[in-house]
Order: sequence, then structure tokens, then C-alpha cells
Amino acid sequence: MARSYDYWLGGSHNFAVDREYARQVMSALPGVRLIAQANRSFMHRALRYLLDQGVRQFLDLGSGIPTLGNVHEVAQRVDPESKVVYVDIDPIAVAHSRQILADSPGGVAIQADLADTERVLNDPLVTETLDFSQPIGLLMVSVLHVVPDSNDPFGAVERYRDAMVPGSHVVITHGTDDQRADEMHAARELSHKTATPGSLRSHGEIEGFFSGYELIDPGLVWVTQWRPEPPDELGHPTELTFYAGVGRKP
Amino acid sequence: MSVTTFVDAWLRALRGTVYVPITPAEQRELLTGLTRRMAETLTADRFDAFPGYEVGVDLVKHEFATPETLGRTITVMRTQLPTLVPSLADSRLTELIEALTTGFAVAMNDRSLDGQEAVRMAALSARDRAEQALRDSEARFRHFATHDQLTGLPNRTRFIERLAEVAGDDVQLAVCSIDVDRFRTINDSLGHDIGDQVLKIAADRLRQMAVGYSSASCEVFRLDRDEFTLLLTGISTPEEAGKMADLALSLLAEPFLVDDSELPITASAGVMETITTRVEPGEILRSAEIALHWAKADGQGRWRLFEPTRSAADAAKYRLSAAMPAALRRGEFTLAFQPLVNLTDGRLAGVEALARWNHPARGILAAGKFIGLAEDTGLVVAMDDYLLEQACRQAERWIHMSSEPPYVGVNLAARQLHRTGLVGYVAQVLTSTGLPPENLQLEITEHAVIGTDEQAVDTLTQLARLGVRIAIDDFGTGYSNLACLGGLPLHALKLDGAFARNETSRPTTVDREFVATLVKVGHTLDLQVIAEGIETLRQARRMRDAGCDLGQGWLFGAAGPAEDIDRQVQQGRSCLLGPAARPEAYRPEPYPVA
Repeated sequence: MARSYDYWLGGSHNFAVDREYARQVMSALPGVRLIAQANRSFMHRALRYLLDQGVRQFLDLGSGIPTLGNVHEVAQRVDPESKVVYVDIDPIAVAHSRQILADSPGGVAIQADLADTERVLNDPLVTETLDFSQPIGLLMVSVLHVVPDSNDPFGAVERYRDAMVPGSHVVITHGTDDQRADEMHAARELSHKTATPGSLRSHGEIEGFFSGYELIDPGLVWVTQWRPEPPDELGHPTELTFYAGVGRKP
Repeated sequence: MSVTTFVDAWLRALRGTVYVPITPAEQRELLTGLTRRMAETLTADRFDAFPGYEVGVDLVKHEFATPETLGRTITVMRTQLPTLVPSLADSRLTELIEALTTGFAVAMNDRSLDGQEAVRMAALSARDRAEQALRDSEARFRHFATHDQLTGLPNRTRFIERLAEVAGDDVQLAVCSIDVDRFRTINDSLGHDIGDQVLKIAADRLRQMAVGYSSASCEVFRLDRDEFTLLLTGISTPEEAGKMADLALSLLAEPFLVDDSELPITASAGVMETITTRVEPGEILRSAEIALHWAKADGQGRWRLFEPTRSAADAAKYRLSAAMPAALRRGEFTLAFQPLVNLTDGRLAGVEALARWNHPARGILAAGKFIGLAEDTGLVVAMDDYLLEQACRQAERWIHMSSEPPYVGVNLAARQLHRTGLVGYVAQVLTSTGLPPENLQLEITEHAVIGTDEQAVDTLTQLARLGVRIAIDDFGTGYSNLACLGGLPLHALKLDGAFARNETSRPTTVDREFVATLVKVGHTLDLQVIAEGIETLRQARRMRDAGCDLGQGWLFGAAGPAEDIDRQVQQGRSCLLGPAARPEAYRPEPYPVA
């Protein structure tokens, strides 16, 4: 999934099999490349928002192939002391992250299932890199919809929240079938053949991930509508299938 | 048209074609710079399209790197640049577009190749990592499977592997099996926590010993609960193994400090020393463990070297002992009868019933071959019971054959004296067979009555009250407490065969008087004195002269079937006329030890 995502973004860090899958999704869900771009743009806007709020530590869950606009590059441009932990379930994505991070002291990558909070929060690299007595930015961009209910994503998000101090933030984008349901279901069908099958959730359900957080204005909205920076607002709202939101732990 | 207007148009055209990881303001700044360079190129006096190439490369470098980006950019250049740059020569624009397209394509190609290389490297590295993780977990699993969790020492599995590894070469090696003495008692009385600590300390001492052992390579394993094993390779002399065992046992004999108290502990060891190619690896450990067993049996706190001959004898004994219960069920145990003859008149006075094992493979075995084993296993009680009944049944037959029927002597194992049900059982057998009690003589070895305790005396007394005769067997060999003898309800003393045999060589006066004294002791206590092991007439005469009442031995007949006795009972005298009539033809054979 991480490598297909890279392909949608125009990257070449992918294999033929990833491109094949990516193209199938593109035909099932026209505009998926725009959606990927929009997701990525949102993440950067949110990241900059968090940096403005003074957050200097980031836990990027489902970081994928971080070729385009790495969190640590953006963050370290603001403050060279910023720390970033990339977590992904795909060993190749993690290996690639390690290559990129080879010369970056503040960034590390571990391979783990984000639903396995115990493992992530107790990983020595995580505990060495992040100071849990200081606010943390928890990034879950375009990833929770590949954690099925059976893996208890809501519980996982809660456990991460409980591990962080007030002033920490959560950044989430999530696929939905609130509109373009047929196309989204077709895309979901395709994802069931992959290692990370999708689970689409409604606006109300996705809001559940923010329990215990204060939703930052404008709340949980279509991904391009979250604090857009012209001329970045891509696509018509009726075309979009991703919600985005940022929450702050009070 | 201003540069700003051109950049606006360019940015608009690029919307939705690409995601770039910089802010809109930064994008504008970048495109503004590129626009200026293109404008300068187009308006230069001497036209050179190369900066267009660089613009194409820069676009890709800043992630404006999709095919659509290029298409839209060409359109914007074609439609807007002529407005931005007045009187623009079409050929210049074409050349600029060509240069930009080339630069863009070259950069895209490099970018793709770099990306592909990076992702392949990542895949390789991920695979390496996965393989390493697998190897690590295999190594962990292997360590877990080949090491003991409590002490961290390699375990039995590892020991067998190591033995197989070294066994391939023709090397001299030694295996030393060490076992903490009475470890079960430590566990039972002090608890398993203490027991575990003892094992840990023992393991540490042995481990340190092995590290410091310089004259050979020594490895320590924990094979079982409290069993440690040392594997010694590269030894030059057979004494090496013994030295190691000495050292190990002395280290373990140091007090164990556990929970602020000192535990006195000893250990035993068995050593097997061999050239590897001569013995199967499995046999080596087994041999060491057998030797360990010997060390335990010899009193613990010591070590024993494995000896193949001793082991073979042990094994044969073990097989015999294991076959006994079935043999008893199948009725393979029978009796042989040997006459007890009045030395004065040659009349048959009694008959001793001797146990025999009619072994299906080994033929008829004398009691000496198996009674000891039966006593070790406890089977002797069941065997005695069975044989007692057979003997009484036989003796009862003789009552009907003669006016002076012989009594029957039956051996009783020492442990029977401590058996509560014995008296009742004897009484029951007498009743069921109809044998008068005075016709039964129970024979107990002298060893059994040494230091006789109250229960044994009580049993003897009750048996005597039944009217049964009681005799001391093998008298004179066991340093009897004569004072104690007087207090026992006895009827007869059986002088050990050694006294009769002594007479065959050149008896001294002392010997003769010694026998006479023993007989006198018996007579003083009002006991019948029976001389065992009489093989010649000469011996018979001497024992008679010494005062013995009855004689028993090859001279009067070997132990044989009941029918032989039947004849003598009918005649009322022994078959003295047999071998005794021609003593020179009679070749004494070793007297069977009862």
C-alpha cells in the first residue's frame, strides 16, 4: 500500500506489482492521485500547524515511503532539534526510511503494526527518541482505514492518547464511503487482495478517533477544506472521499 | 505582462497535476525564479537555450515531477511566454522548449532510476533484516532448546550433540556424571527454591572449575534435575578423569551458603574414560551413570570409575531380578531337599528344603544365585511364603511314611522377622497342610539375629509359641552376641560349613577345640547342634567327635527331589551307603550356599 501510494504521488519507489495495483485502483476510483496529493498537502499544512503550536516531536504511524516532503525535513527546517519516529508495517518502507534517515540524527524508523501499541510505545528506539513528558504530534495520515475493527483501531488511538501529555496533537485523515460509495467500495474490494485490506468509516465513526481530544477548527472536514492555502484546494468537495482533522489533547 | 501574471498562470495550470512538499509561497518563489531565467534567456543578445535545460531539471528536482507537469508547462510557455517576452522569435521559443523538455526528461529518468535503486536496496535490506531476525530467533530458540533455564548450562540435548561432535575423532575422552547426594531431601525439606539455589551454586562452581581447568578441555552440562555432567576432551592420561572428578567433588563439598545458612552438601560421581571410537556415544553416558550409581551405592560423596566387567555382572543380575516376579507366577521356583542325619546312628532326623529356580534358559539355579536379588527387591517374602507352603505339604507326606518322620527346615529371610503377618501366615500354613508345628524348623541366618531388635525377638517368640523349631543358620560366621543368643527361643544351631571343611586340611588342636567350644555353647543353651557342609566320612567323624548332633552335606546326599527323601524316610536312615561306601570315588563339589 505504501509503495502504491508513492506511485500515485508520482514517485518511483515502487515495484511492478505495486504499480499494477495502483492502476487498478485508479480505474476503480478516478482521481485517486488527486486524493493522494490532497492527503499529502493536508499533512504538511497540519505539520506546520503543529510546529506553530510548539510541537517538536512526531510519531508518524503508517509513514509509508517518505520520499516526498519527509516529516523530519519539514520539522527540522523549523527546529533542527525536532524528533521524528516513523512507524510502518511494511518492512521495505521501513528499510527505505532507514536509508533516508541514515544521516538524520533526529529521525528513526521501526517496523510495527500501529495497532500493537504496546510494541510501538515500548520499542527502545521510540523511548530513546521521544520524550513522553513533552507534547507529541501523533500522525495517522491515510492509515486508520487499513486497520480493521478486529484490530481495535479506536482502542489503539486511545492508548496512544493516554501515553501523551496535554498539548499533544493527533492528525488523522481517513477514507470514507460517505460519498462516491460505489467507487470507494470497488477500491475497498481491490484492497482486500492486499496485505492491508481497507475499512471505510463514516464521518461520525471517524470523529470517534478524536475522543479525548479537542478538534481544532474547522473540525473533521474534507481533506482539502482543512485550513487550505490557495491555490492548494484541489478537487471539488463532492469528489472527495477523505476526511481530515487535527485534535489537541487538553 | 508581468512575471507575476505569468507565474499565476503557470501555477494555475499545474494545479492538480502534482504534489510538491513546499508551501504555495515557496512554489511561487521557485517558479518566479525559473520564469526570470527563461525570460533572460529569450531576451539575451546571443541566444543559448541551455538555461531551459536547467529549468527542466530544477522542476523535477523540486518535485514538479509528473508527466502532466511537463505538458502543462509547455502549454503555458507556448501561450504565455510570447506575451511576457515581446517580439519573441518562434525559433528561440521552440529551442527553449526543446531544452526544457530534454532537461526534464533526463532528470525524470535519473529520478526514476534513483527511486528504483533505492526501493530495491530497501527491499534487499528488509530481506536481510528479516533473515537476520529469523536467524536471531532461530539462535534464541536453539539456545533455549539446548540450555537449561535455571543454571544457563547446556542441557542433555547439547551434551549429546557435543558428544557426537567429538566422537567422530579417535580421541581419548572422559565423561563424569555428578549427582548431588540426597538432593530430594533438600528439595522436600527445605523447598524447591532452596533446591534451585543449590543447583545454581553447584553449576557456578563447576562452570568456574571448567574455565580454570588447564590440562584438558572441560565442558559442563546439566542433564537432569541434580545431575551435572562434565565432558573432558584432550586428556593425555587416564588418571586425568579421576583428578577432575576429585576436584569437582571437593568443590561441591564446600559448604553451600543459601539464605544465610550453610548447607552441608556432598556429591557423587561416576567416571567413564574411553577412546571415543571404541564405544557408542550413548554408551559413554550410560556407563558414566552406572558408575555414578556404584558411587552412590558405595556410600556417596565419592566417585567410581566405570568397569565393563562389573557392569556386565550388574546387568546379568538385573535381568535375573527383573524376571523373578513372572517366574514366581509361573511356578518356576521349586524346592530341593537335603537330609540332616544323626551323626551317631545315621538316622534321618530332618530335611532342609532349599529353594531352586527352574530357569527356562539357564537351567536349575541354586538359591545363592537369586536369593540375594529376591531380598533386594522384596520379592523374597512372596517367595518364602510360597516355598514354606510347599515344604510343609511335603513334610506332612512323610508323617504318613514313618513312625519317626523328619522335620523340614525352611529358610526365612531376615526381613521376615519384621513382617507383622508372618506368625499368622505360618500358623495358617501349618493348619492348612496339617503339619505338626514341631515338624517345621525355621532357619534364620546368624546375620539376621545380630543386634536383634524387639520386634524380631517378639516374632521369634511367637513362632516358638506355635511350637515351631527355630534354628540359627551359618552359625559362627557372624560374630554373634552370645549373650543375646541366650535370650532367644531357639532349638538348634547350624554350624557353618567352613568348620567342617577346615577339617579336610590339617586341623590344628586349636581348630578342633574351637569347634568343640561352639558345640558346647549350643548344648549349654540346650540346642541341637547341626554341622553343615560335611563332604567326607572323615569330616563326619570329626564333627561327631566334636559333639555335633546332626550332620548335613554331600556325604549324606546332595539336595534333590522329594522322592529321594521319600526312600530314606521309608528306610528310616540316610543313604550313607551311597557315596559314603566309596568315599575315594566321591569328588566333593562346592557346597551350595543356602
